[in-house]
Amino acid sequence: MTTAALQEDTPGKRAPLVLGHRDFNAVTETVAGIVEKKTTPSWLVLLGLAVSVLLILLGSLGKLAAEGLGIWGLNNTVFWAWDITGFVFWIGIGHAGTLISAILFLFRQKWRTSINRAAEAMTIFAVMSAAIYPVFHVGRVWFAYWLFPIPNQMSMWPNFKSPLLWDVFAISTYATVSILFWYVGLVPDLATLRDRATTKVRSIVLGIFSLGWRGSHRNWLNYEKTYLILAGLSTPLVLSVHTIVSFDFAVSIMPGWHTTIFPPYFVAGAIFSGFAMVVSLMVLARKAYGLEGLITIKHLENMNKIILLTGTMVGYAYAIEYFIAWYGGNEYERFAFINRAFGPYKWAYWTMWSCNVFSPQLFWFKRIRTSIPAMFVISIFVNIGMWFERFVIIVTSLHRDYIPSSWTYFRPSLFDISTFLGSFGLFFTLFLLFLRFLPAVAISEVKGVMPQADPHAGHGDDHGHDAHDDHHEEASAKSDESEDESEDEGDEGDEASEGDAEKDEEESRG
Amino acid sequence: MKRAPYPIEPDTSGKNYWRSVDEFEKSPSFAEDLTREFPEGAAEAPQGTSRRGFLAIMGASMALGGLAACRRPEEVIVPYTRAPEEIVPGRPLFFSTAMPILGTAIGLVVETHEGRPTKIEGNPRHPESLGATNSFVQASVLDLYDPDRSQSPQEKGEARTWDDASVFLRKLGDDAKKKNGKGLAVLVEDHRSPTVAAQLDALLKLMPEARVVRYEAFGRDVTEEAARIAFGKALVPVYDFGEADVVVSLDADFLLNEGSVVKNVRAFADRRNPDRKDKPMNRFYAIESSFSVSGTSADHRMRLQSHKIPALAYALAQEIAAAAKVELPADITSALGGAGALDPDATKLVKAIAADIAKRNGAALIVVGRKQPAAVHALFHAVHRAIGAVGKTVKLVRPFDEVKGGPAEIAALGKDLQAGTIDTLIVLGGNPAFNAPADVRDAITKAKTLVHVGTHVDETGKAAAWHLNRAHALESWGDVRSEDGTGAIVQPLIAPLYGGKTDAEILEIFLGGTRKGYDLVRASWRGAQSLVADFERDFRRALHDGLWKDSAFPAETADLDAAKVGAAIKAQKAVAPKGDLEVIFDPDPHTWDGRYANNGWLQEMPDPMAKLTWGNVASLSPKTARGLGVVDGDLVNVSANGATVTLPALVAPGLADGTILVTVGQGRSVVGRVGKNIGVDTGSLRTSAAFHVADGVSITKAGGSTKLSRTQEHFLTEGRPLVLEASFAKYQANPQVVPQPKKYLSLFEERNYDKGHAWGMTIDLAACVGCNACSIACQAENNIPIVGAEGVQKSREMHWMRMDRYFEGDLDNPTSVSQPMMCVHCENAPCEEVCPVAATTHSPEGLNEMTYNRCIGTKYCANNCPFKVRRFNYFDYTKDTIEQHKMQMNPDVTVRSRGVMEKCTYCVQRINRAKISAKAEGRERLRDGEVVTACQAACPAQAIHFGDLNDKQSEVAKRAAGPRGYKLLEELNVRPRTSYLAKIKNPNPELEGA
Repeated sequence: MTTAALQEDTPGKRAPLVLGHRDFNAVTETVAGIVEKKTTPSWLVLLGLAVSVLLILLGSLGKLAAEGLGIWGLNNTVFWAWDITGFVFWIGIGHAGTLISAILFLFRQKWRTSINRAAEAMTIFAVMSAAIYPVFHVGRVWFAYWLFPIPNQMSMWPNFKSPLLWDVFAISTYATVSILFWYVGLVPDLATLRDRATTKVRSIVLGIFSLGWRGSHRNWLNYEKTYLILAGLSTPLVLSVHTIVSFDFAVSIMPGWHTTIFPPYFVAGAIFSGFAMVVSLMVLARKAYGLEGLITIKHLENMNKIILLTGTMVGYAYAIEYFIAWYGGNEYERFAFINRAFGPYKWAYWTMWSCNVFSPQLFWFKRIRTSIPAMFVISIFVNIGMWFERFVIIVTSLHRDYIPSSWTYFRPSLFDISTFLGSFGLFFTLFLLFLRFLPAVAISEVKGVMPQADPHAGHGDDHGHDAHDDHHEEASAKSDESEDESEDEGDEGDEASEGDAEKDEEESRG
Repeated sequence: MKRAPYPIEPDTSGKNYWRSVDEFEKSPSFAEDLTREFPEGAAEAPQGTSRRGFLAIMGASMALGGLAACRRPEEVIVPYTRAPEEIVPGRPLFFSTAMPILGTAIGLVVETHEGRPTKIEGNPRHPESLGATNSFVQASVLDLYDPDRSQSPQEKGEARTWDDASVFLRKLGDDAKKKNGKGLAVLVEDHRSPTVAAQLDALLKLMPEARVVRYEAFGRDVTEEAARIAFGKALVPVYDFGEADVVVSLDADFLLNEGSVVKNVRAFADRRNPDRKDKPMNRFYAIESSFSVSGTSADHRMRLQSHKIPALAYALAQEIAAAAKVELPADITSALGGAGALDPDATKLVKAIAADIAKRNGAALIVVGRKQPAAVHALFHAVHRAIGAVGKTVKLVRPFDEVKGGPAEIAALGKDLQAGTIDTLIVLGGNPAFNAPADVRDAITKAKTLVHVGTHVDETGKAAAWHLNRAHALESWGDVRSEDGTGAIVQPLIAPLYGGKTDAEILEIFLGGTRKGYDLVRASWRGAQSLVADFERDFRRALHDGLWKDSAFPAETADLDAAKVGAAIKAQKAVAPKGDLEVIFDPDPHTWDGRYANNGWLQEMPDPMAKLTWGNVASLSPKTARGLGVVDGDLVNVSANGATVTLPALVAPGLADGTILVTVGQGRSVVGRVGKNIGVDTGSLRTSAAFHVADGVSITKAGGSTKLSRTQEHFLTEGRPLVLEASFAKYQANPQVVPQPKKYLSLFEERNYDKGHAWGMTIDLAACVGCNACSIACQAENNIPIVGAEGVQKSREMHWMRMDRYFEGDLDNPTSVSQPMMCVHCENAPCEEVCPVAATTHSPEGLNEMTYNRCIGTKYCANNCPFKVRRFNYFDYTKDTIEQHKMQMNPDVTVRSRGVMEKCTYCVQRINRAKISAKAEGRERLRDGEVVTACQAACPAQAIHFGDLNDKQSEVAKRAAGPRGYKLLEELNVRPRTSYLAKIKNPNPELEGA
């Protein structure tokens, strides 16, 4: 199939976004099947693992809340380390989801459809993992809510000059919009699941969440508008969230932090790491759930191209930082950058370079960017590298700042590690639950990009593509989930099995 | 009065009240009346609720009500019905007292809050203090409240009452009297108490065959011995650094741990002021084996092993005589003759020093350290005399008493104890079973009847037949004379917390008397006729002033016994050192000789050079360390005098090659909770024969290493303009030795501070010697917790004020500077901008304030602090504060909880107190000098000034605007309110470029 995809990826002719000669029903069956099938033992094992790791997180946070930040390795010079590194890491990962769902949507990049649902879910779970840190890295976690501008008896407002406060707004807005966007996108698919529900409870629960979706034109019209508006709202957030996160550093006066390049650099890094995470997860999920036909090599390759692009941008940022450190003539900044590359944390710095700049360059080679094992390894490298990038920025800048007498070397404690590790537990627990209980691929959207959905598509080459659904708008093509709607075909399949499927379908319709 | 009386131990609370009544009884204003009203014995607790019981509880409530005991009252408490005079809740009272320290005594003023001493300040009237203190004095208030102090007399570890103890002591005394004192020895500390001295005299009269021996692990015995050689009697040289144009130190750390250090620092720093018109800046040469605090202040420093310094000293004496064209006595000259050849650098230095001294017409001072043999000390008595320094920079006064001390004396005592000729030993303070020379310390415990008087059950107390709990200096009546004879009364600030008695009271019981400390002191000064006209009036004045006026000893003249000095020199020269390696012993910077081992503040106080806390090390020069192949923390075996000790190595730049510096005082085995398992006992290396310097030693790598708890890891400035320095010559030519301040633009509208006060501080780096007194004073004033060795290893120490140490130049032979650092109160404070909850904000007077209640602990402020002076409560450091320690807490300063940031406040509580007083007087503005911060008050060098920058006449404004004033990291435009004054050194032009 890989080769098939490659062969079809010829200039002037777009590769199909859905492979495997599926029809609309096949798509529904594939995706909804995951949700409706019996729980597989392998999923249970994975969930058990993830929950165990999640318990590590809960234990670590419990101890943290009970005893204080001293259980981490922080000291009088490095007041932020793994906590904020973890925060920026997770926020960054979230970016791919929003980028895929919002920006690529606005640009009508149809290849996004099979990955956007999972990417959005990933965004939300990543933001949730990230949110652990701003809450729990404060000394008095029971007062963390003071970060919000809640009217209070002290008549105290937060300090609107502080980038941490901007963070609060940026992250909470981002989380809200991401959840809304994700949920709105889910509604038609939830309706599909509702209609396929075999138990009362299931049908009621899904009925509530599908908001009375009937698949009517009005429904579709409202849906499309809402989706577009939310995409419009999300798009600036892709840029703003990490810009504001970067302000945490850029607005400070620490050499190594106080850099105007941070906003674009952070956004590029965020997209970079987000895409890497999507690749890592999709490679696994498509294999596990047999979604190879929906999440094709083409998708992965496209994402790898973005990884290559953003990785190069990040590399450029690393280089330009050095130029500015030299050109700016600030001795403290100059020292900070020399110290990064050759100081006590040089191992972290060169890990960052190797993972973030050198490894994605391999994606120039088509063989590598279309090779599943290679891209998986590289995407993991990128994730590691991006964690190190934040670590390098935060810790190497702090540990040797202005006054040499305060210089220290930060060492993580067991609880730094367990908290970060545990955040993966949270992420994967949620992600596994998502895979199991919600449609991991946007059924309606995928159908919309299938050739069958395009009335003008395939003049000549899609031999079996009849015009009998020409009256369907693209939108209505998606509405197959309401079983009464006549959706059909996928008749490009000329194999026997495909024909059987068709027959079955006819029967069922009949 | 809704607060509960102070509960020390819930189960014995009834008993505590009685102690508190005692406190009330002894509070100076009431002591006399009350003792008269309630005769002896009447103050015993009657059973049931009697009228007296009611009054007692009421008294307890009065004395202790309003304490910071945040508990619901468990008993009936009663408010003041008639307010005691002077006591206004919330307003501290200050009482003068004094304390013996380092072989002298220092006058103090102690701040008390509702009957609890909380903070010690120096007494400005007292010549040994002049208002300043040192770190040990500052920390001694914590010792007072040490919960690990012994709580009662003990007989073989079993708690006894003082009644039992008195019976025993009386019987012991009666038996001793019968035997004329045969077999009895009393071992005393350098107690400096005329009352105790008089009692010891009385004891010797009653028991002529008894022996009184003085022992201090780090005392002034060599000085005493030298005086006996030179003058035939133990005259005490009193130095006046204020008169010395040239100071030479031969292995003497006279600014930190030898002699009257507080006085010395003050006088020395006064002469380091380059702006002084009447007396020019002095010049200081240091020749020393270890890099001492004094050495860091030197204009020229030469590192030389201690055992090689005598040779240089002899050459120096000869050169001085030659250059100044004076004759040393013939016996001495002949003894010196043929002083060994020095290397060229040393020769050059010696010649330069001699020429320099010759020019000064006697205004020179050569201080010889305790690690040098008595012959060298005696020689410089002769030199001082020859160059005319006696009477100018050196005054000889009579000794405090005639009791002999030193390693030889205690060694003799040890022999007698071993032999059994002495069977009864009364240890009056001190812990000889721990810090006596290795050849003696086992003998101490051999005494058939060992009586130990001390505040703690220590190694000696544990071995003793009877341990008698001693009262702390802040809870006892007593008296002291300082080095120059100035007398002062030690008055109690609080009744003995654990019912301890003073040395004098214990001796009184031993001698069969019944007088209490107060009466003993009065009796002893009543006898000092020359000082007293109207005793009651004068006694009250002495109490009030903190010293007896004009009580200093007059200068003595004595003939120099040149023959004996010559003989001593010859004898010294005849001793050939064994091997080139030497071990030198210094008092531990944290525990002194072990006595402060249970004091958390001192254990966590970074030592001035290596910034080590919680432990001790063997310091090696970089070259020696390279030779051994060890780095910081590697374990080494140090062998000397037949003993071997394994301890971590520390590479100490500036140490003489081949010298191993070992401190004595850590590794206490019988000690309270704080000092447990801290450091290594090095006492076994130190014998009475090799007391300060041991030769014939060896050092090997032991394998393995430990992590040292240091508060600073990087000692280079990396070329950053942090400590600005210039030579005196340059400064005279052009005083603008620091870059002119620049005006930077600000994005925001700048706040105007022209109106009202604008608080600011200056720190004079030319004066600062880096002694840490400020740092501990800050800790005492501001309720700063300790974090323990582990906390320090994680760089989480809480000191608001730290002392940065930088080395410059050659790794083996560097120069060094220290820089006090605390919040500089930036006007454009970067911390304030980034706090999301506005917990750190600016006051209209320019203070950068922390609102602990508002702080949620994002720590962003600390990240954004370029000076890294903010401290974070990573744990609830004050949660487990022991009840007794809570009594030390300053009620004017919030005790911080877990998870909040804290830092220097410029002692805002003191500013506010001064403002309240000013307001009461109807003044709007505070006068210059009305607010004195804790660090400023403690600083013996007067390096710190604080005040109003808007008042152009204020000391601080003048200093900040002076040519030496500069601000750290000025280019960040954070506008610190603290200015540093550039360090000025005064090198000898003849040695420049050498």
